[in-house]
Amino acid sequence: MNTTCSPRTSAPATSGVTESLRKPLYNVNGNAEAFEIRVELPGVPKSNVKLDLEENILTVRAERSTTVPEGMKALHRELSPLSYLLRLRLNAPVSEDQMTAKLEDGVLTLRLPLKEVAKPRQIPVL
Amino acid sequence: MHEYEAERIFRLKNSNQTNQAMKLIRTNPFSLNRVSDFDEWFRHPLAGLPSLSSFINNLGEVFPGVAGDKLAVDVHEDKDNYFASFEVPGVKKEDVKIELNNGMLTVSAEKREKDGEKESSYSLTRSVSVPEIVNAEAIVAKLEDGILTVTLPKQERSKPRTITLN
Repeated sequence: MNTTCSPRTSAPATSGVTESLRKPLYNVNGNAEAFEIRVELPGVPKSNVKLDLEENILTVRAERSTTVPEGMKALHRELSPLSYLLRLRLNAPVSEDQMTAKLEDGVLTLRLPLKEVAKPRQIPVL
Repeated sequence: MHEYEAERIFRLKNSNQTNQAMKLIRTNPFSLNRVSDFDEWFRHPLAGLPSLSSFINNLGEVFPGVAGDKLAVDVHEDKDNYFASFEVPGVKKEDVKIELNNGMLTVSAEKREKDGEKESSYSLTRSVSVPEIVNAEAIVAKLEDGILTVTLPKQERSKPRTITLN
């Protein structure tokens, strides 16, 4: 189980609302037990992350906190203030209720355990 | 005539709040302002061209890994401080090194990634030129949500001061 997702899933057209979003850098690892997904979300506090799993599509939406207080002016800008959106289509059923998420140092780590039916089964030779 | 000139200088000084206006100040023969501090950040030969660095940065978004060795930076300013913010997701506090040397602020971050059993690490670095008016002794840094913010306080003398005639 090496090809764990379709990495080319692009940001969907938002319904009527024009909102600028960008795709964060991410990394997917899969083994016989679970998907492990790392998403880089610098500048995003825990409260600004929304996760959603519906019909094997995982959606991560995250907003950067506005780090520029009043009275400050920008002299040079390279960091993008845009919010993040990542949609991944999972190619195996996962147990939604056992999904765990951790946000640390601007990196979101997700663990999505596979459902029993999706796990490889050893068949003994008699 | 004199009134007109006075008004113009006044106007330029007031518009000092915006970046565009700073460019005006440099060409203003009546102003005693030296070249704005903004330029000083990037005038250093090693600081790199900001336009180039943002280009490389954009390239990195299209081809992750291409420009992955250079940290993106934002510079902000308020009355008392400069703030340089670097994006360092996944980097631990102990893996960040900040150095001030000859007016250059250099940030190096060691990024460790665990890919299943494999563990890899690579370092990211960025230098920016620091204006002279920064009080080097008072520079502080904090790491939060993958953003490293370096606060560079301006020295007292560079804060606006009113001089009264005796």
